[in-house]
Amino acid sequence: MSLASLLPVFALMTSLLAAVIIFTLPERSFRLRTLVNLGAAVIKLVLVGVMIWGIVQGRAYEVAFTMVPGVRFVLRADALSMLFAGLSALLWLLTTIYAVGYLEGSPNRSRFFGFFSLSVASTMGIALAGNLFTFFLFYEMLTLSTYPLVVHRGTPKALRAGRSYIIYTLCGGAVLLLAIAWLHGLVGDLSFRPGGYFAEVEDALRGPLSLIFVLLVAGLGVKAALVPLHGWLPQAMVAPAPVSALLHAVAVVKAGAFGIVRVVLEIYGLDAASDLGLLAGLAGVAAFTIIYGSARALYQVDLKRLLAFSTVSQVSYIILGLCLFGPVGVAGGLVHLVHQGIMKITLFFCAGNYAETLGVHRIDELDGAGERMPATSVAFTLGAFGMIGVPPLAGFTTKWIMGTGALAVGMDWVVVVLVVSSLLNAAYFLPILHRIWFGERQAAWPQERRWGRLETSAWLLWPALITAVLLILAGLLANLPVSPLSWVELIVAREVAL
Amino acid sequence: MFESASFVLFAVTLPFASLLLALRSGLQRAYCYSLPVLPLPALMIALLSDPGWLLSLPGLLHGGLWGMDDLRRAFLLLTAMLWLAAGVFALGYMKGYLKADNLRRFCVFWALTLAGNLGLTIAEDIASFYGFFALMTFAAYGLVVHEGTDEANRAGRVYLVMAVGGEMAILAGLLMAAQLAGSDLLADLPATIAGAEQRGLIMLLLLAGFGVKAGLPLLHFWLPLAHPVAPTPASAVLSGAMIKAGLLGWLVTLPFGEVSLPGWGDLLVIVGAVGSLGGAVLGLRQQQPKTVLAYSSISQMGFITLMVGAALASADVVVTLFAVMALFALHHGLAKGSLFLATAMTLPRSRIGQWLMWLLVALPGLSLAGLPFTSGAVAKLAMKEVLKPDHFAFAAAPYLPALMSAGAVATMLLVWRFLWLQRAVGKIGRNPVAMWVGWGLSLAGSLILFWYLPWHGAVPEKTWPTAITGEAWSLIWPILMATLMAAVAPRSVRQR
Repeated sequence: MSLASLLPVFALMTSLLAAVIIFTLPERSFRLRTLVNLGAAVIKLVLVGVMIWGIVQGRAYEVAFTMVPGVRFVLRADALSMLFAGLSALLWLLTTIYAVGYLEGSPNRSRFFGFFSLSVASTMGIALAGNLFTFFLFYEMLTLSTYPLVVHRGTPKALRAGRSYIIYTLCGGAVLLLAIAWLHGLVGDLSFRPGGYFAEVEDALRGPLSLIFVLLVAGLGVKAALVPLHGWLPQAMVAPAPVSALLHAVAVVKAGAFGIVRVVLEIYGLDAASDLGLLAGLAGVAAFTIIYGSARALYQVDLKRLLAFSTVSQVSYIILGLCLFGPVGVAGGLVHLVHQGIMKITLFFCAGNYAETLGVHRIDELDGAGERMPATSVAFTLGAFGMIGVPPLAGFTTKWIMGTGALAVGMDWVVVVLVVSSLLNAAYFLPILHRIWFGERQAAWPQERRWGRLETSAWLLWPALITAVLLILAGLLANLPVSPLSWVELIVAREVAL
Repeated sequence: MFESASFVLFAVTLPFASLLLALRSGLQRAYCYSLPVLPLPALMIALLSDPGWLLSLPGLLHGGLWGMDDLRRAFLLLTAMLWLAAGVFALGYMKGYLKADNLRRFCVFWALTLAGNLGLTIAEDIASFYGFFALMTFAAYGLVVHEGTDEANRAGRVYLVMAVGGEMAILAGLLMAAQLAGSDLLADLPATIAGAEQRGLIMLLLLAGFGVKAGLPLLHFWLPLAHPVAPTPASAVLSGAMIKAGLLGWLVTLPFGEVSLPGWGDLLVIVGAVGSLGGAVLGLRQQQPKTVLAYSSISQMGFITLMVGAALASADVVVTLFAVMALFALHHGLAKGSLFLATAMTLPRSRIGQWLMWLLVALPGLSLAGLPFTSGAVAKLAMKEVLKPDHFAFAAAPYLPALMSAGAVATMLLVWRFLWLQRAVGKIGRNPVAMWVGWGLSLAGSLILFWYLPWHGAVPEKTWPTAITGEAWSLIWPILMATLMAAVAPRSVRQR
């Protein structure tokens, strides 16, 4: 086994090690903790970069061993896993910077950053998992390591949200385990592979396989916040802003969506899944979730809660894209995995900035924020327009590709869903933008803090600005070979187009 | 040199680059002074480069392609010229009329709207066209609500609701057409739409989507609210240049010249007639000069809609009609821009000065009505030449000349109404130099520049001065008739 093939293990270990070190550090050693945090994040980003480069060259990285007979532990870097790993490595670095600025000065930082690193390690494991069993291990580890982050503040509200979160996700995990075990009993240990396993299904297996699919999607759908399994997500927004950013953009909801991607593309296979009539049902659920999430967002008064419902809606774009059973639709869905991450993390960073700098949590307190915090507000504006799907931002690329993919296979109704969702997005984001830029400030800010010359702490400002630039570039330069879209097209070419 | 890739990129990115001036509040004055500079490179491209150049930007969006053909040249000329005049005007206007603390915001939205409006004019691929169009739509909101009054906010809300609806209709239409065409270029859409199974739906979506900008009847509600509440220089570009973006959207996407669609022709002629006459009737009832001008824009766009209908109805006159529409758009844009700018000008103290001033204010209006030797006369005659009923076979064609005559009378009536109201609010005082220069530029653009502009080869060949002299009576009688009506009507109303 060469050193290079161990790269996935190293990528995983960087954040695990960081977690262990940080747990042992005393509370006050700010510099060392930050150094370990950022160092691990940078090293991981480099490792992922090396793996991506290798995969472009056609190399593959795999580590596997048998745990108990019949059950193997597989870590593998392929094009699809790098989509998720790359996203989380990049955004982890930015979120860590942000979290340092956000939380330093508050209690229990070692605990926080320890679990923070653990949850990123879990995310990396989910990305690199080579079979359902390994996937499940990290999926549950993610649940356990994010719970302390959600309840970090320790307020009754946070504890309530944490309880709801843990109940939802553990039940989801149980259902998922049941489905995986059943599938294992039926067909044995299945590594993820392009095209899946069930291109030709015996009639006897059709029933059980369909049922297992429903269970798998239900188990994964809890984290992906598919309606009606989304209840925990809006509550979990009581967590600190960097946690929300991580939950919504990188780790939790994406883990669910990514799992569904793996199941549909690499266990069942697109053709089998649509043959069994499973995709049509999933498309319906996803479409309903998209509209429902947006419609609920309309009625929110709390900014972060609104963003949470927006996540419910946007993550289902990924799933809807899968259900358009064509390479174009799949590309649209997969690229949204990245695009939604960048856009939503920008919005949460900005919401956190408003809260930390001005004490603003409610939408109706935002009047005149643009004048006080122009840079944050520009980033927020870009994120909002990206969500609406205005070109040349990332959200437009997704919408355009999904739209053409849907029309290509005659699913015209998807265009209606996209249009209605965009209208709803406009209906809840544009009034906020009006307040920010044109609202007149009557009273003082609820709780204002000053940071010298900048509008807010540089730790908080730069991550938001960087992701804002990324969300422009992802759309504006979508045709360049380094864009997320080009990577997704490579995935689709290698794995989906049969 | 002006069609070189680097110069075109410079022209398009200059308004974006100007945003850097917004970073420091100390640079605010510099930003204000840069506004007139922003459209200059684009104006040079329009005036000095030969149509037909293309610029391919493979990395941009889904593959960018920018270029300028004869049609786009006319639109680019109008857009750049009007933004230039309004930008100069804005320099003086900002000093006198706008609150100083919001100037930076005004400059930012000005630059973004300008960037969108110029960019969409030369975009030849779908994604960048739609992108620039959306940028213009959303950035213009900042201009509409700038004053921050309840009235402005209300107008802004109506504008935004209808504009977003329009954007979505455009998106759906473009998606359907682009998917069928399997292409990302605008040039491939007309032929695809012509042969599409869902031709009706796609055309309806695009007509309605762009129709919101163009002020099509029933899609126009935002227009008389939003155009007048914006700061005056913004009103001028909204009503002169941005309204034409809707028209350009139609011209570059709908299946002109591919098939003859008499049904659509009839429909659009009716819609155009309703717009041109209905807009005038509603405009006559208004109390604010700027609102009258906004309705006049709806009315004039109605005329252009007549031509759009005629062009859809008969594929073989499309080339000529496109040239005439471009001419008409150029004429109306500059004249209307000048009229809007005039609403903020104060009058000189002396009697003679006042008379001269009124004459200059009225001239672009008379030009709209087709006064001989103005741009309006040329546009009207060219339109008349093409819209002869024997060129067409669709049902509404025989009514076109009558419609045009009625429209000319209505146009002149609106001009009188505008002058009447403007006289009531006209103040005596001094204007900042920049406002004189800006207004003068738009006036010169409307009255003089027109004669020197590079015209499309397909405009009916004529020696215009001779043609105008020959047709003088047909041009003048609607003006006289409207003047007579304007003189008599108020009295008869008062007597009752």
